[in-house]
Amino acid sequence: MGAYATAKELGREAVLEKIKSAGLMTYGLRREDFCEALKQAEEAAPVDAGLNNADTDGALLELLRENPGRIFEGIRIAGMLTGTEALSLYLPEKETALAEELGGTAETYGIEIINDIIDVRKSERHFLLHIVTAAELSDILEGTSEEGVYIKAEDKPLEKVRSDTKVSSLISLEGARAVSMGYHFFTPEEAADKTAADAVNAVIKVIREDQCIVRETLDKLSAFRRASCGKCVFCREGLIQLEYMQKEITAARGKAEYPGLTQEIGEAMGISTLCSVGQESAKAALDATAKFAGEYEAHIKKNKCPAGVCTSFSHIYVDPQACTGCGDCMDVCPADCIEGRPKYIHMIDEFDCTKCGKCIEACEEDAIVKTSGKLPKLPNILTKAGRFRKH
Amino acid sequence: MACITIDGVKIEVPEGKNILECALDAGIYIPHLCHHKDLNPLGSCRMCIVQADGHSGPEPSCMLKAEDGLVIHTKSDEIRKLQMLALELLLAGHPEDCSTCPKYGHCELQMLIQYIGPKTGRLKHRSKGFAPDGRNPLLLHDMNRCILCGRCVRACGDLRGVGVLQYQKKEDLEVYTGTLHQKLLKDTDCRFCEACAEVCPTGTIRDILASSEIKKEDYVVPCRAGCPAHTNIPEYIRFVKEGDFDAAAAVIREKLPFPKSLGYVCSHACELECKRKALNEPMSIRNIKRFAAEQDSGKYWKGKGKQLPDTGKKVCIVGAGPAGLTAAYYLRKQGHSVTVKEALPTAGGMLSYGIPSYRMPRELVQEEIRVFTDQGVKIETNVKVEKPAELLKEYDAVLMAIGGHAGVRLPMKGNTLPGVLLNIDFLRRAAMGEETGLGKHVIVLGGGNVAFDCARTAKRLGAEEIHVACLEARDKMTSDDEEIEQAKEEGIFVHPAQTFEAITGEDHVTGVDFMNVESFSFDENRKAIIKKEEGSEHHIDADTVIFAVGQRTEITEAAGLVLGRGSSISVKDMTKDKSASIQGVFAAGDCIYGTKSVVMAVESGREAASQIDLYLGGDGDIEETLAPKQKADPCIGVIPGFSGLSRQKPQVDPADRRQDNFSLFDHGFCRETACAEAGRCLQCDLRLQISEPRTWGDFS
Ligand SMILES: Cc1cc2nc3c(=O)[nH]c(=O)nc-3n(C[C@H](O)[C@H](O)[C@H](O)COP(=O)(O)OP(=O)(O)OC[C@H]3O[C@@H](n4cnc5c(N)ncnc54)[C@H](O)[C@@H]3O)c2cc1C
Ligand code: SF4
Ligand code: SF4
Ligand code: SF4
Ligand code: SF4
Ligand code: SF4
Ligand code: SF4
Ligand code: FES
Repeated sequence: MGAYATAKELGREAVLEKIKSAGLMTYGLRREDFCEALKQAEEAAPVDAGLNNADTDGALLELLRENPGRIFEGIRIAGMLTGTEALSLYLPEKETALAEELGGTAETYGIEIINDIIDVRKSERHFLLHIVTAAELSDILEGTSEEGVYIKAEDKPLEKVRSDTKVSSLISLEGARAVSMGYHFFTPEEAADKTAADAVNAVIKVIREDQCIVRETLDKLSAFRRASCGKCVFCREGLIQLEYMQKEITAARGKAEYPGLTQEIGEAMGISTLCSVGQESAKAALDATAKFAGEYEAHIKKNKCPAGVCTSFSHIYVDPQACTGCGDCMDVCPADCIEGRPKYIHMIDEFDCTKCGKCIEACEEDAIVKTSGKLPKLPNILTKAGRFRKH
Repeated sequence: MACITIDGVKIEVPEGKNILECALDAGIYIPHLCHHKDLNPLGSCRMCIVQADGHSGPEPSCMLKAEDGLVIHTKSDEIRKLQMLALELLLAGHPEDCSTCPKYGHCELQMLIQYIGPKTGRLKHRSKGFAPDGRNPLLLHDMNRCILCGRCVRACGDLRGVGVLQYQKKEDLEVYTGTLHQKLLKDTDCRFCEACAEVCPTGTIRDILASSEIKKEDYVVPCRAGCPAHTNIPEYIRFVKEGDFDAAAAVIREKLPFPKSLGYVCSHACELECKRKALNEPMSIRNIKRFAAEQDSGKYWKGKGKQLPDTGKKVCIVGAGPAGLTAAYYLRKQGHSVTVKEALPTAGGMLSYGIPSYRMPRELVQEEIRVFTDQGVKIETNVKVEKPAELLKEYDAVLMAIGGHAGVRLPMKGNTLPGVLLNIDFLRRAAMGEETGLGKHVIVLGGGNVAFDCARTAKRLGAEEIHVACLEARDKMTSDDEEIEQAKEEGIFVHPAQTFEAITGEDHVTGVDFMNVESFSFDENRKAIIKKEEGSEHHIDADTVIFAVGQRTEITEAAGLVLGRGSSISVKDMTKDKSASIQGVFAAGDCIYGTKSVVMAVESGREAASQIDLYLGGDGDIEETLAPKQKADPCIGVIPGFSGLSRQKPQVDPADRRQDNFSLFDHGFCRETACAEAGRCLQCDLRLQISEPRTWGDFS
């Protein structure tokens, strides 16, 4: 018998009793006693199931892919508890394939699948149900429930671990510059003290020494911009400004006031937006500017990306003394930005160069150099190999 | 009720009412932008934030509900900082230059900028890269100025129940509000209600017709403004749509005591103004009115309108045309004793003697006039008044409403030959069944509606060949297109752009010499400049020529009144003061401004009634409410294919059935076509229900 059928047979009161004794907490950003949350919901409130709007990683969707029935049953049980037949499942906008795949089954459960974030304004009186909570409702009725949270540590598959599992036992902190968990960035020291329960979207990722914290912040902001519905001023415009500033910093055009402005806007966003996208999206930027201020300073004041990731800070040039004019570099350059003729010193047009490094590998004379310092004097017209004088 | 405190002021408010509205209603200003009184709150702009005691931080007051004991602070450093930052963020995506914006001076955003004073120059400024969109009728969209307050989306969706405007995202993630895939509004369910433009706080969605020179209600509801009597057109159209024809007729009667006659022959200035024409064709307003008037049982007005007690004052009206009769009706209702003196055997003026009966059935005119006599208006026919001043011996006031009954004869060779007729005489004789002097081959000189009335009357009297010739080019002819087309169907030849060189003949008309006009315009002194085509002289044979080039008032200085251009009666002011040169004598209708239209005459008669009532010691207020109150539903919803709905056509008899008799041939609408046509109306007046914005200037 399915979980929902069991629930129906037991009746609402008995089901509530079961849930209470299992101590079910709502999953996600707002963790509270499930029965309390239910009490606050209006009579016959429609059920809107989904991830937190802010969850741009979507790691927990794996649960849905693995066993959709379990989630669907859970959603129906929630519907039975609030007393509604209006059941929706929100999937991230880009997950159209998944929606397609599950649509048919969902329909048999009376659940409508919508590819969008939950519109908090329209769902003001709805009962919001995280899909993990839905899964757990199912488990409780099936009698298979066990304590724990879902974790996707690095590239490992999603797994359920005890809530109090130390982060240090889930990932290796060696060579870590920072740890990305939930919507936050932590220093490796902070992360060591955290537990699995702190990863609200299941994701724990190490940011290694060869990764740039500003770049990681930028990537997160960009993902949030795509998720934002754009109604709240602070979410829409705040993200545009934050994204712009981090982009400028990685492009070696950062200004001294950017970290401060990032903080000012980021803090305001947290309290000036209606859903978790606006509320959580600046958290990483706030952490990055506060906890990794040194890296920001390096980018802005010292013209340097400590991880060597931000290519705008490095230059690639052909050493005019070493180049024999063989042309091997020209053949491999995907940006087509090397100029030269046989037996002439080749020249790289910095403007188009993407700093991919292919030419460095191709050059047998080791004449192509990558530096984060200043460029030496280079020829600006085609010059015969060996004829270029430094002074 | 709940007792709340805002900035130390205690107020009683309904439980659950949003705090922003509570404050504004209590005269306490809280800045706001995305909120609008008539729309559901969105909580997006964050201008309206307040701090409630015991709540964790500032929150938008538009989303906060009143509960007993709530203590609110609208001002603090933190609030101010957040408001400034919110506005700074908004403006980062808004054009910096206001002075070129048409909304400049009445823009809510601009006023908010002045109030809040955001920081400048810190953030990355960008242009959103939208081109101004002028592809739609009636509405202009300049999305670069949009601040995404979402009012338009809510107005279209929640208020109107239409929902064609939504938040959208461009490829570059720039958010905007608009139709899906930037479709043209006419290709969506848009009802062109303009609620979106009305609520837009910025210069983004704009009403193309808006103008600082015209009163808002006039450019918003141009049909009503265009009607000389300002009949409440959208209101009666809505009643027709609902099938309540009695109520519709009552609305019409509030301004027009000749609803039926006007339903048949009104020159419908309203239709020229109707905004529907920007989508496809204007509303067929006159035919809707006609149908409502035809169905009217009189339930709302018969024996119900205003009738003030007798004042003992006596008024004499000279001329029983629409102007005189209208004035008589309202003066009677104001309590005066009213006598109408009419030169001809029957009352009605041009309705009875000018406009041919195939357009205006005589019994309908008499039926409408009976309403006036039932109200106590006395009409004496076959009495021609020569000296109005003498009437003042018996009456306290006199109104001259003698119309224009002298046809104009152009000064040209042959203009008095036997066989030359004048429009008014000809039509009147035809109307009275007298001998007209008409031959078999007729040329009508003139291009207005009267010319066609003459030509088509001649046709019905048995003329074999009929030509209408005029100076104006075809597209400049003043007659209705419908009139010209119907005449052509009846075999009448139309010759636009002709000069009339001479009427030929020795002792009787033999025809007219014409030349073709190459160009025709007026110089700055309004003098006509005509250029003729060389060598284009030609002749059309005829035994009858009818002048239909205008008519004048039949009056001379002997009447004792000062006369103006074209022997019209001079009055102090055409609308505001209709007193003539003798105290106690007033004038109204065609006799003061030349031949215009029945509805103009009615309005002129109404104005005269009000002015004469004032002169006689009344309050001059002739307005009356007859129709039941209408609850116009702002939620208009979706009608499939709305923008393309085509104008309903009245049922018209074919030429071969109508051209040899004087029976009515245009049968107007039936119930289905009338209701369908009413359903096409944009209900432009609904927009006037929407609340005006409240800015800080209103509170200081
Ligand atoms: C042929 C024709 C067709 C028209 N068609 C249309 C149409 O389709 N739609 C439209 O809106 N308008 C039309 N008009 C215009 C419209 O009829 C007039 O503008 C309107 O009737 C003017 O009303 P009135 O009361 O001012 O004058 P009138 O209607 O002219 O009435 C004046 C009355 O005063 C009487 N009178 C004159 N002198 C004296 C006197 N000394 N003593 C006593 N009584 C006197 C006349 O006999 C007449 O009855 C048409 C006009 C003409 C001539
Ligand atoms: S916080 Fe962002 S995503 Fe959420 S409702 Fe506001 S604008 Fe939309
Ligand atoms: S680094 Fe890449 S893009 Fe730049 S010059 Fe070398 S091959 Fe071309
Ligand atoms: S919309 Fe308002 S603030 Fe914007 S440019 Fe126009 S007037 Fe200025
Ligand atoms: S239906 Fe009305 S509010 Fe909606 S887009 Fe059309 S005109 Fe604007
Ligand atoms: S178009 Fe006007 S009403 Fe609509 S969101 Fe933009 S500023 Fe607001
Ligand atoms: S659409 Fe209706 S309300 Fe609007 S102008 Fe035309 S008749 Fe008047
Ligand atoms: S948030 Fe309240 S008015 Fe915009």
